[in-house]
Amino acid sequence: MNIHTTPQRTPAETALIDAFSDRLSLLPGDGTVMLKRDDAIEAIKSGLPTRRIESWHYTDLRRLLTTVPDFDPAAAAKAIAPVVEGSAVLPVLNGVSSTKLPEIEGIAVQRLSEKLTDGSAAPGLDPYGADDAIGALNTAFVADGYFVDIADGTELDKPVELQNLQAGGQTHVRLSVRVGVGAKAVIVERQAGEGAALVSSVSQLLLDEGAEATWLIVQEQPDTATHLAQFKAHLGKNAKLTLFVMNAGGKLVRQEVVVRTTGEGADFTLRGINLLAGDTHTDVTMVLDHAVPHTASTEVIRNVVTGRARGVFQGRINVHQYAQKTNAKMACNTLLLSDDGEFSTKPELEIFADDVVCGHGATVTEIDHSHLFYLMARGIDEKSARGLLVKAFVAEVIEELDDEAIVEALETRLDGWFAAHG
Amino acid sequence: MPAVQDTIDRVRKIDVDQYKYGFQTEIAMDKAPKGLSEDIIRFISAKKDEPSWMLEWRLEAYRRWVTLDEPKWARVHYPKIDFQDLYYYAAPKSTPGPTSLSDVDPELLRVYEKLGIPLREQEILAGVQKTDASELEEPSDNVYKSGRVAVDAVFDSVSVVTTFKKELAQAGVIFCSISEAIREHPELVKKYLGSVVPTSDNFYATLNSAVFTDGSFVFVPKGVRCPMELSTYFRMNEKNTGQFERTLIIAEEGAYVSYLEGCTAPQRDENQLHAAVVELIALDDAEIKYSTVQNWYPGDAEGKGGIYNFVTKRGDCRGHRSKISWTQVETGSAITWKYPSCILRGDDSSGEFYSIAVSNGYQQVDSGTKMIHLGKNTSSRIISKGIAAGFSQNTYRGQVSAHRKATNARNFTNCDSLLIGDQCGAHTVPYMEAKNATAQFEHEATTSKISEDQKFYVMQRGIPEEEAIALIVNGFVKDVIQQLPMEFAVEAQKLIGISLEGSVG
Repeated sequence: MNIHTTPQRTPAETALIDAFSDRLSLLPGDGTVMLKRDDAIEAIKSGLPTRRIESWHYTDLRRLLTTVPDFDPAAAAKAIAPVVEGSAVLPVLNGVSSTKLPEIEGIAVQRLSEKLTDGSAAPGLDPYGADDAIGALNTAFVADGYFVDIADGTELDKPVELQNLQAGGQTHVRLSVRVGVGAKAVIVERQAGEGAALVSSVSQLLLDEGAEATWLIVQEQPDTATHLAQFKAHLGKNAKLTLFVMNAGGKLVRQEVVVRTTGEGADFTLRGINLLAGDTHTDVTMVLDHAVPHTASTEVIRNVVTGRARGVFQGRINVHQYAQKTNAKMACNTLLLSDDGEFSTKPELEIFADDVVCGHGATVTEIDHSHLFYLMARGIDEKSARGLLVKAFVAEVIEELDDEAIVEALETRLDGWFAAHG
Repeated sequence: MPAVQDTIDRVRKIDVDQYKYGFQTEIAMDKAPKGLSEDIIRFISAKKDEPSWMLEWRLEAYRRWVTLDEPKWARVHYPKIDFQDLYYYAAPKSTPGPTSLSDVDPELLRVYEKLGIPLREQEILAGVQKTDASELEEPSDNVYKSGRVAVDAVFDSVSVVTTFKKELAQAGVIFCSISEAIREHPELVKKYLGSVVPTSDNFYATLNSAVFTDGSFVFVPKGVRCPMELSTYFRMNEKNTGQFERTLIIAEEGAYVSYLEGCTAPQRDENQLHAAVVELIALDDAEIKYSTVQNWYPGDAEGKGGIYNFVTKRGDCRGHRSKISWTQVETGSAITWKYPSCILRGDDSSGEFYSIAVSNGYQQVDSGTKMIHLGKNTSSRIISKGIAAGFSQNTYRGQVSAHRKATNARNFTNCDSLLIGDQCGAHTVPYMEAKNATAQFEHEATTSKISEDQKFYVMQRGIPEEEAIALIVNGFVKDVIQQLPMEFAVEAQKLIGISLEGSVG
């Protein structure tokens, strides 16, 4: 229906606007940064996105975000062990970065609060589109995080783990990484905690010419937390990025992935698993721009839905007119295991160049009965057989990552989830 | 394949912006004043001799329409339409309800003849020149002979003639214009009109409910297999008119009907609005097959003029084991905004959507379907082929949803796009929503240009490039063409060839 309505502010919108006036004096930033914060809060004042905004069609944030907790100065998040043993850990506890930074050769780490204060972080604070609500929320409130610069030619032998840990209240964090020319790195972005927090987290990655990175997002918030996250990347010439997203928690989760290939020969791989349980809502939305010729991308997303969980995957591939010879493929497969669960998917192709090969596939189904029969005929009871099939369905995506330590670490996380929800 | 050769010959002969049906006919017209108001609606209703309930229905829709905004979500761009600058009623003067072809203005008949529309179907099929047109109405002993088509011809706002009426009546089938149905069969119209597309459905459907002027009405009673193909040809002729037709097709228990519509319009510099509503209702075990060959004037090579085709089409599989199938070949219109849908309400019902959308020049197509699974064991199939050339934009937008009670819902969707040239765009926006664990949905989409390998393979066998491309394009759309009734499959193949002229090669 297109009947005119005059929007009234929801309690959550009011709480955010009030929180901004309260926090304003505590937020770091020079004039440029503060002006960007003003613009961002103006965007929030005009209302959180509803299902009428196409990119928020399945996640009506205005309706779903019912409560916004106050900032909690007493919250004390505990540090946790990294996903891959031996990683260099850069923790952000309750939205505050650490003053004791590890010294690693070839890496320069800066606290983001410093870069906000001197204004050098300002250019990254711009939203990427008119409906960038997560970007606006984060820009308005972000107080800390890290800026990591991996020098040209550096090859890291251990992963760097960026931890964003909460213990209630609100945390707004930004994690920026540049991987220099020809450098190689594995970065783990860890999102966890134990409170009923509102978390906004924006990650920015810049891959210079020939850089190679594997970025793992491991999101394991408790089912009381609202987690609004964004991952933005620019891929330079011949740069290669493998992004792995694992969502295994959170009450209301939206993970946006915004990737742009800006140099010829860039190659982007996205692998994602969404493990959904309970009465939760999880949305993964990807916007991928092929902006130059000769770039490639493949995306595979696997979802498991149990309980009363609702899942969403939206993936849009834009192939610009100049981006001839693009090769883009996307698949989204969902196992819907309960009658109360729900999954919606919208894989989009927007193509303006003719010499391309693009495709997408999406399926939603339950466990294949013939597979189940095969296992049960071999004496495996139904519950275990189901468990095996579901695990195989998602583990397939993990096994594609060719680093053994990472595969093992992720399978441990997977087993943990199945033990708790299987 | 002779059809392919034929396509190529036609493509060669015709220039890019030579729209074959772009002529205009001077016919004395009866028009309502420009603009839209309650008075105009009263005027239309009075012109059509409608009962008071119909007028009330229209007025209610109008009052709602004034509160609505135009939808903006589709991927189409056009200047704002001034709804007060249109004629909402235009009818050829000489139509006090013709009963046979001989009562029809010969000028009008010539128009349809020019369009190659088989009003004189029998003569064409038999290849014999018959002089008495009214003979068409005579029932003959080969009533059930296949391959014949009954036609309802709609000229601007009114239906000018419906053929084979008597013969159909013998089988119990009612096929007439909607205005006639409102007068003659008010109980049926009252029961079904607006029950699939309610007056409050969307901006254009609401506008249509207020001002619709004509369209076809088909009622196939219980257990009857309609003895011939039914079809309607829409022709927009008058300047500055909008065409708002309303079609209602009801297939009772176990009935079957196949219906085809075709559309053309004169070539003009300004844009014209066409906002139709089509409602299909299939009861238990009934089947409705609805095919469209849409060839409204698409505008010239610079994108000037052409029809805005904003259409709401929806079928309701109300009964168990019912089936509705949509087949469309879209080659015309400056802008197409059209989503023929199926509501799969009855258990074991099924819906199908086969579509070919060809866009060239500056055409914009935003088309697709909705398959709404409500009943148990319902299935749907979507095959969509988009071909974009020139400066056109071609979007597939479709939704498949399974509601909580739709146990074992099954969908297969395949949408492929072919791009010819680097100035056009192809877009795919499918929505899949599953709320039932036993639902099984599959979707696949690809976009590519004609593969060099395929082209090389064909050319290597001595076929020139242009023919090779035509051959590959025809192969690309074959799955959909196969779903069309035979006569129209040939027509559709030719249309595709013509539409792509100027881009192939």
